[in-house]
Amino acid sequence: MSDLKENLKAQIIEQLNLEDLTPADIQDDAPLFGDQGLGLDSIDALEFIVLLDSNYGIKIADPSEGKEIFQSVNTLADYISKNQ
Amino acid sequence: MKILAHSYVCPQAVLLNGKPVSDLKNEENPFKSAYQQLGVDYPKFYKMDVLSKMAFIGTELLLPYFPEGIDQENDLQLIFANSSASQNTDNLFVESYEKLKNPSPSLFVYTLPNIVTGELSIRHKWYGENCFYVEDSFNPGHFSEWAQMAFDKGNKSCLCGWVEAKTDGEQECFLFLLTNSENADNSIELELSTLIKQYRNE
Repeated sequence: MSDLKENLKAQIIEQLNLEDLTPADIQDDAPLFGDQGLGLDSIDALEFIVLLDSNYGIKIADPSEGKEIFQSVNTLADYISKNQ
Repeated sequence: MKILAHSYVCPQAVLLNGKPVSDLKNEENPFKSAYQQLGVDYPKFYKMDVLSKMAFIGTELLLPYFPEGIDQENDLQLIFANSSASQNTDNLFVESYEKLKNPSPSLFVYTLPNIVTGELSIRHKWYGENCFYVEDSFNPGHFSEWAQMAFDKGNKSCLCGWVEAKTDGEQECFLFLLTNSENADNSIELELSTLIKQYRNE
């Protein structure tokens, strides 16, 4: 699971063009969206959907699920491990 | 019209009113370092394109110089310009769908230069007018004319900027804060021309 989280952090940085960040800058349980954590927004949610599809073969049929799945690196990793 | 303060941001250094604030020459990620030295917490900074990052840093430095008693929310106009629009990000976006087969939404949102003024307006809750011109080179006379138009319409101050990120790597952001002062010398063109030459070491 820890490898998955580290890979996810690297993929988030690459996918979202967060070139100034390193995986160490992203805490496992920090909120990804909103004013805290990474401060991501709805555009980035699209990126996450693409990331899950292209890197893990997971398609999110119901976009409203994203709110729960994309809360943090922890929740993303948990969802991937259960659905891959 | 007079200049209240000015800042200059480039990959090598950050300067405020002509004096060094940050030396970035040895920094691997210069704008990240400059942002962290500001001591502000605004994680959206990391998502921004280079134009917005430079303007963000330069603007944060100018905040203490904004005139008191002015309704910044409504009476501040943003006037920005450059010569390459958002070409740097445009190219990255093209690369994302031509080479990587994945058109990136997070790049796409920065494929307009006036996103810079939008980012600043969101950050500081400025609801006044803003504009972004594209022209061959920094033209102090044009900035003077655009600012005068803003003042004639009732704006009390203007945050102006030449913010450039060319595909050849040239990056700079020269910001200056103007106020409409009846007692001041209205000819700011020479002063602006001198300032940018000093910042560029020309």
